[in-house]
This record gives sequence, structure tokens and C-alpha cells, in this order.
Amino acid sequence: MAAASCSPTVFLLMVSGQIERAQFPEFDDLYCKYCFVYGSDWAPTSGLEEGISQITSKNRNARRDLVWNFPIDVTFKSTNPFGWPQIVISVYGPDLFGNDVVRGYGAVHVPFTPGRHERVLPMFVPESTSRLQKLTSWLTGRYPEFTDPKVVAQGEGREVTRVRSQGFVTLSFNVVTKDMKKLGYDVSSPNLASSSLTSVTDGMHNF
Amino acid sequence: SGGAWKLLSGLREGQTQVDHPQMDDVAYWCHPIDVHFATKGLQGWPKLHVQVWHQDAFGRTELFGYGFCHVPSSPGFHQLECVTWRPLGSWQEQLSQLFVGGGPQLLSSDLIYTGADRYRLQTCAMGTVHFQLAVLLRNFDRYGVEC
Repeated sequence: MAAASCSPTVFLLMVSGQIERAQFPEFDDLYCKYCFVYGSDWAPTSGLEEGISQITSKNRNARRDLVWNFPIDVTFKSTNPFGWPQIVISVYGPDLFGNDVVRGYGAVHVPFTPGRHERVLPMFVPESTSRLQKLTSWLTGRYPEFTDPKVVAQGEGREVTRVRSQGFVTLSFNVVTKDMKKLGYDVSSPNLASSSLTSVTDGMHNF
Repeated sequence: SGGAWKLLSGLREGQTQVDHPQMDDVAYWCHPIDVHFATKGLQGWPKLHVQVWHQDAFGRTELFGYGFCHVPSSPGFHQLECVTWRPLGSWQEQLSQLFVGGGPQLLSSDLIYTGADRYRLQTCAMGTVHFQLAVLLRNFDRYGVEC
């Protein structure tokens, strides 16, 4: 913090939070991985950029949520807000024969505005486009998955992918930024902060 | 909290009373939290770490859940819901837990708030802990920190 007195050239983004819980009505015993995708001007300065959670089960008695309570703590520095970090979540679980199968991919931008945020990510898996492939993947137990989960954070190639969505993951973020204002960036428009995701959370309450 | 953070006053940890709720499925602890931190850096923002224990009719205590959540970084009043989980044993342990109670516990509580070694665990969802926190910050914007 001592360096703040001279004119800054980089700004810092500190993200802390957790992968709180998930709703997957059809599946149980799931674990998740997270990683961050960011632009070329960004660099992590401390904390873990990726992680693997524990395997978690639903509670048989009460609610049907899966709880991970998995910590995220990472700090980035950048000179340019383009390529703002996105967190990519992928969820895995065993199928009937005990093989690990992907149960969902999802990605969301780290919130721009400082403070506490909650995000609900719809989770989807890629689907085979042909009947034959569907049959063979059903027979062999090998379902299509992305070789690199980071593609879900990119906009290219979407027109050729077909997916099915089958769950939600709830994340909570605490965002602190440093020297954004000094560099002239304005992120404060609180009325826009989470309005785009309300339609998603509406769908979540249906089951 | 991390290395740059210093506890100036207040209790770093505590234990609540045991509530035996009569009305519904919620135990009300009404436990006051009052701490004052000073910091030299942002790394290691304080976290709240909870362990929920259950006391049965024989006076035995068993683990009901571990959980953590970050203290909100923006000033003001916050209502937090901290999800909790507990480790799941083998099926023999789960069977004995069904009849005699008890269950596996973590040897080191570090696993609760660090992510590095979590992948070796298998856990089960438990209840949620509700917090009401009011956060006051001082002099953060003088250092260019936007919270």
C-alpha cells in the first residue's frame, strides 16, 4: 500500500469468495474444478488460480443442495480492464459404473463493482449432434466433454456447439479493487450490478 | 485472517450457548460478534469459520457441520448465510453413525478455509448458519482501495 502515493500504472483486483453450493436434481456425489480465464494484460499476483474441491453429497434428510463451501482467494493486477477475469467452473461426478463424467460447465465474469456479490451459474454439458454418436456414448459410457474447459469463457465457435443445461452453481464473491479510480476507471453503477441474472435465478426456484 | 491483519480488540474466537429450540427447526444463538482489525495489506481478508456441534439427550456432542465465509468487503449491514458440510466416512462408519451417533471429524481445521487439500475429502451437505454483520471501514480510500 505504500506505493499508492506515487501515480499508479497498474490496478489490483482482489477476489475472495467461495463456490458455495449447487443444485443438480439428477446427480449426486459431485466435485468441481475452477480456473480463471483472463486477458493478456492481466497477471495473478497471489492466491490460487485453480483448484479442485472435495466430493460432496446431498443431505438425505433436508434440502437437496450440494454444499462445497470451497474457498476462492486470488489477486490480479492489470493495466487494462479488457479481458477482465472470468471464473470457469466444471463439475464432475461418477456415472453408474463409477467413471468420472462431466456434469456441467459454467463461466461468469468476476463482478466489476467492489463489495459482496452472489452469482448463480447455469451449468451445461456439450451434447452429441448425431444419433449414432449419442448411441455409442451411451454404450461406452464416454460422453462428450470439452478438452479445455476454458472454451466456455470464449465466444468463438458457439454456433457449432449443442448443449444441455442440467443444474446451477451458486458462487459468492467479495471484490476489492485498488487504484481503479486513480486510473480513471468508473465501475460504479449499482443498478446494473446484478439485473442481468435475475431471470436465471427465477428458473432455479422452479424445482 | 492473513498475516497482514492484526487483531486490535475483541474476541478472535468463541463458543455459543446450546439452544434447544422449541418452535421450529432453527436454533437461535444470538451470539454477539465484536472485533476490530487493523491491516497493512489486502491479502488474507478475514474469514469467519464456524463449527456446529450437536448435543444429544445423553450430553454427548457430535459434529454437525464445518463452514466458512468471508467477511464482506463493503461497509454496511450484511446478512450472510454460511453453508456447512461434514466429512463423510466409509459406509461402515455411516452405518454406525446412524445407530450410535458420532462421525468423522477433521484433525486440522485448516482444511475448512483452504482449498489446496480439499480434493481428498468426501463430504455431505448440512445446514446453514446465519450471520448479521455490520462492517465499518476506515481510511481505505486514502490508499486507493475501493471496497
